[in-house]
Amino acid sequence: MPPKKSQKKVAEAQEARPSRKRQLPVDPYDVPEEIEHPKRQRRSNPTEEQQQRNEKEEDVVVEATPSKRRGRAPKAAAAAAEPENAAITTTPSALRQKNSIETPVKINGINGVNTPGRKTIADRSARKKSARALVDRLINGAISDDEAEDGDIAREIYESSEEDEEEENEEHPKETQEEEATATPSKPRRGRPQKSTTTTTTTTTTTTKSTTTTRRKRPPTPPQNLPAHEQYFYQNKPGPSKTSNNTLSSLDLLTHDEYFSVLRTLKDPHEPDVNFLLSLHAESFPQWAFELSQGFSTCLYGYGSKRKLIHNFATYLSSSSTPNNNTIVVINGYIRTLTAREILSTLSTAILPKSTLPTTVPTLPTLLSLLPPRKTITILLNSIDSPSLRTKPFLQSLLSSLASHPQIQLCCTADSPDFPLLWDSALRSSFNFIFHDCTTFAKFSASELEVIDEVHELLNRKTKRIGGKEGVAFVLRSLPENAKSLFRLLVGEVLVCMEGGEGEGGEEVNVEYRMIYQKAVEEFICSSEMAFRTLLKEFHDHQIITSSKDSLGTELLSLPFRKDELESILEELMS
Amino acid sequence: MTELDDSIINSFDEDDHRVAYIFSSTDTSSTSASATTSRPTKRRKVISKPTTTSTKKSGSAAAFSANAAIPFPPLLSGQESQVAASLRQKTYETVWPVLEEKIESVLRNANKHTLEEVETFFSSAPADSNKIPAGFVITGPNIASQDLLFEQLAERLAGNDGARVVRLRAAEAGNLKAGLKKVIGGVVGGDGDEEREKDKGRRKYLDYDLEGLHAFLKRDGEEREGKVVVMFQDSEAFDVGVLGEMIGLFHSWNDRIHFSVVFGIATSVELFQARLLKSTARQLHGAQFDVVQANSVLESVIMTAVAGMDAKLRIGPSLLSQLVRRQQEQVAGIQVFVSALKYIYMNHFYANLLSVLLANDGNVDRKVLQPEHLEAIRMLDSFKTHVELAVKAGQLSHAHSLLEDDGYLIDQILEQGEKRKEYLTQLLRSLHLIMATGLLTKPFDELYEASLEAGIDLNRSPGPFDIGDSIRGLSPDEFLALIVRITSAIHSGSPELGLPGWEDDAEELIGSLTELRDEVEGLLELSKDNNATLKSKYSAQSKVLRTTVVAQKVQLSRDTATMTEQDKDFTSAIDKLVALLFQTADCERISSLFLHEVWQYDFRSPYEDVFVPRPGATFARALSRPHDYLGCSCCEKANGTIAPTLPTTSILYQLYFEAGSLINVADLWSSYYALVGDESEIGMDERSALVEFYRGLAELRAMGFVKQSKKKADHIAKLKWL
Repeated sequence: MPPKKSQKKVAEAQEARPSRKRQLPVDPYDVPEEIEHPKRQRRSNPTEEQQQRNEKEEDVVVEATPSKRRGRAPKAAAAAAEPENAAITTTPSALRQKNSIETPVKINGINGVNTPGRKTIADRSARKKSARALVDRLINGAISDDEAEDGDIAREIYESSEEDEEEENEEHPKETQEEEATATPSKPRRGRPQKSTTTTTTTTTTTTKSTTTTRRKRPPTPPQNLPAHEQYFYQNKPGPSKTSNNTLSSLDLLTHDEYFSVLRTLKDPHEPDVNFLLSLHAESFPQWAFELSQGFSTCLYGYGSKRKLIHNFATYLSSSSTPNNNTIVVINGYIRTLTAREILSTLSTAILPKSTLPTTVPTLPTLLSLLPPRKTITILLNSIDSPSLRTKPFLQSLLSSLASHPQIQLCCTADSPDFPLLWDSALRSSFNFIFHDCTTFAKFSASELEVIDEVHELLNRKTKRIGGKEGVAFVLRSLPENAKSLFRLLVGEVLVCMEGGEGEGGEEVNVEYRMIYQKAVEEFICSSEMAFRTLLKEFHDHQIITSSKDSLGTELLSLPFRKDELESILEELMS
Repeated sequence: MTELDDSIINSFDEDDHRVAYIFSSTDTSSTSASATTSRPTKRRKVISKPTTTSTKKSGSAAAFSANAAIPFPPLLSGQESQVAASLRQKTYETVWPVLEEKIESVLRNANKHTLEEVETFFSSAPADSNKIPAGFVITGPNIASQDLLFEQLAERLAGNDGARVVRLRAAEAGNLKAGLKKVIGGVVGGDGDEEREKDKGRRKYLDYDLEGLHAFLKRDGEEREGKVVVMFQDSEAFDVGVLGEMIGLFHSWNDRIHFSVVFGIATSVELFQARLLKSTARQLHGAQFDVVQANSVLESVIMTAVAGMDAKLRIGPSLLSQLVRRQQEQVAGIQVFVSALKYIYMNHFYANLLSVLLANDGNVDRKVLQPEHLEAIRMLDSFKTHVELAVKAGQLSHAHSLLEDDGYLIDQILEQGEKRKEYLTQLLRSLHLIMATGLLTKPFDELYEASLEAGIDLNRSPGPFDIGDSIRGLSPDEFLALIVRITSAIHSGSPELGLPGWEDDAEELIGSLTELRDEVEGLLELSKDNNATLKSKYSAQSKVLRTTVVAQKVQLSRDTATMTEQDKDFTSAIDKLVALLFQTADCERISSLFLHEVWQYDFRSPYEDVFVPRPGATFARALSRPHDYLGCSCCEKANGTIAPTLPTTSILYQLYFEAGSLINVADLWSSYYALVGDESEIGMDERSALVEFYRGLAELRAMGFVKQSKKKADHIAKLKWL
């Protein structure tokens, strides 16, 4: 409970000063709230009469003075008049409410002004207290982390109650008028807390608690229902990230083997629904075929794998048209090694009978000129927005010029929501697309989405299939002894660098090539640079080291592993 | 079930891992038995039954077209007769190509002027100059519609000038080598292979060596002059360096190969020149050419293809305004408009049962119309209003027979073909007349839209056709000119609208127009003799209005006082003309016509979905409310909120949106596992949950929602806020 702490600090600070704070009774914060309430009620009962008397006297005053003053008067009076039992008598807010319940009409009727509610008073005192905390913090100078947080809250309260007051002022125009007449708007009050801290710190504990809790709700929870752009700026404002420091180190990450063996046992509860969705889409097959035949290209987008859908569509097309006139070519865009060459060569086999195939892959214009007049080719393209297709603009323009040919029909699928950005208006008009929402919810197959690799890449675990600790061990087992020693040396050096704190920010740690070579020579791992290079090449081939050059041209070596992995590799090598 | 699962997971069919292959259904069914044969056929059994049977039945009907082998499936879940379905298809196939041809010719004519200019420029360019002739064609920002222009230009230059034309796009010429390859490949072209075969004995050139081009041209040079025109279609997109180098090379080869270049420029020549090096710019001898404004092209396309007599289908006013707005707001290009038009036709004939009524008159007879057709017609709004009107007008027997007597209804329906034509003729004639007066400044498409929406009624003021006042304000000379314009409009019709002249039908109108003209001419003579200016009371008033308020009162009274006999006659002549025009140019709104649904198309939804998709919203909906798509019982309650039964990606997506710009994967995992783990309703064990979690995360990444972050360990960065 930070505020409590701060209040304690305030109290302690006050303790130090020789003032009437001496009279502070038992620390009220140690008393549990639940007990405090009834106690207070009971204790205040005997004094109620007296309070009422006070109140009545006050009423007389009230008629003459603005209401704000009235809120303060009894406190000061009480504090001054009965310094011995300040804690007992001064529960003005609770009492006041009681009083106003007893004689509500009178008070309001006479003044035409609402008595300041319990909340306002509480806020006001909370505000005073927070001002106090702020001042104290300034005086003490030393700020620990906790204090900083406390300070924030204190400031928050201070500022928000100011706002509240403004609101209140709007609600009670008369009051404001009066206030203005006495020329005591909010400003003078800012300086006041120091005078009346005794009362505020001691008396309004319960209310303060409640208000601080309600106040504190605001900052940590992000504002809800912001429009997207506001959300963006809210979440991207500068400052330290607010995420926790948990990591996945305790979790044993999946390997390919485990992934597939578990996947095999998993059953998708939505499978019937997914199949039903597929069958719904299948009803549009004739329509799509018609659109294709009219020179449009269709683009099927939406969440889920559409490979199955395309396959079914291909089956439909081949069953409904005569095979001689229409050849269906399926292109799997999700395959990373996709090249224009392969597309063209497949197309050329589709166009020409096997015997007359040219030895070289033909260019697009020659290919198109070879297309016999009555023949059509339907290209079904999986994932037009796959990484391999979206990174090469040339492929998109190749596809568009294919699609714009009257005898070639293109039906493609798109898996990401941003796919329209792939094409400028010229490309798009030569594609002549018709878009269909084909959300399938179907799972991506292993060939479409390499789940493990994707996730590990996302988590900066650069473990390709052969990679990882096991991979290294496997590679090294097949290498000569001095290669092993070299790798051990390398790992050791990199680890030393890491210990040195170079790689704090998650950046890769590089060691100098020259230095490693020197050490290798010293340790009789290799005798010439030639041999050294040969050894390194072996590592390169297995992707267990990477090399780069810095801005000065110094050659650097690094290992694509995390520290804990390196440590376990080293252990294994040493054993 | 397990078998199916296996087939999904283990579908390591060869095909899936091949980049490209030729599909044949027999192949795959043998290789992966469980995956392809069991599932797809099951599905096909259900849905494609009607289509497969239809293929057999309509084999003869579909024989008329080779390229559209797939016939329209019968509507009303197969209840529509095959004859009607194929008649719809046939109608589409006869109606659209006519229109397409017209549009094509409009588009070609639009560029005619520019083409001629460019051609003369190139042919008149001095041959011995050491500068490369360069045409700067200002195409405007709409690169989509440039294609046609360049195609025409290429045709034209190749045809008349014997030049060899190469069209280059920035994407194809990323560097100098690729650009040169493309240029040389384009010139040598398809016959290059044969040439190369022949040339085996001779020296071989690298395919980016201009020497090779030179050699080729020299061989070919006997027949043709050997000009090479290189067109940089989107010159702004080219790398300046590449462009400069290419021009430099062309320049240095200019004494052997006659190069010319054409630049398509979206911005302005000044900006383009500022990008080029001065030395490069100095090598060019350029001229600037402007292309017809897209707006005027659009207007003439609308006149021909949307409003014209040849358009069988009327595009409704709201759809049309949307189409036009899209042209203006998004730089979509005229091609997109034409595609949209085509799609609308396709849509209408493919999916509207009643479109069969648009078939040529001879083909629609009683046999084609099934009871279902009649039932559908009786459900139409326009049918209902028609019957109600008939009842109100007391034609009870007519209404009764429409409702009860199928034969009578069919007669009425068949009559509508003629009525439609009458309506169209009246509409277009009225519009044409109004346009011919030249008193309205609005573009044609607005007027057309307004006339469909609300009909033409010149009396309605203020309205889109508020020409009464401007006619009244005419001077005698203008008045005569107006009459001439109107008569000539009637005489010549409008070729753009496909409207022939209708002198024969409008003898009466022409007669009264000539009378008016003679009368006013006579009056003009008279007043000239009298040395007075002829004016009407309207024109006098309007003149007064231009002076001060004080003067108005004074002058007004004097004017009426000094109106001569001729002036009065002229005023009455004007009144007559206005009345005549009002009476002639008159047309109902389209939605008031009986059975207009048959030939009017005014739906926005398929057009919007198909041409202007909103994939972001689609993905967001699928992921945040999977029940909308899946319709499963388990997720019904959880629509829009998180529930353990949702697909994993959907859960992660919603957690993702609660997170900040950096997401801790460990925390994401723990909150996911807390949701689906042992203690939840579905109680997944940790490893299975992790597998699902992996899948979900990988999918989120593939869809571009997250990327890796190096700021903190095991954190990922958020990429989308929408």
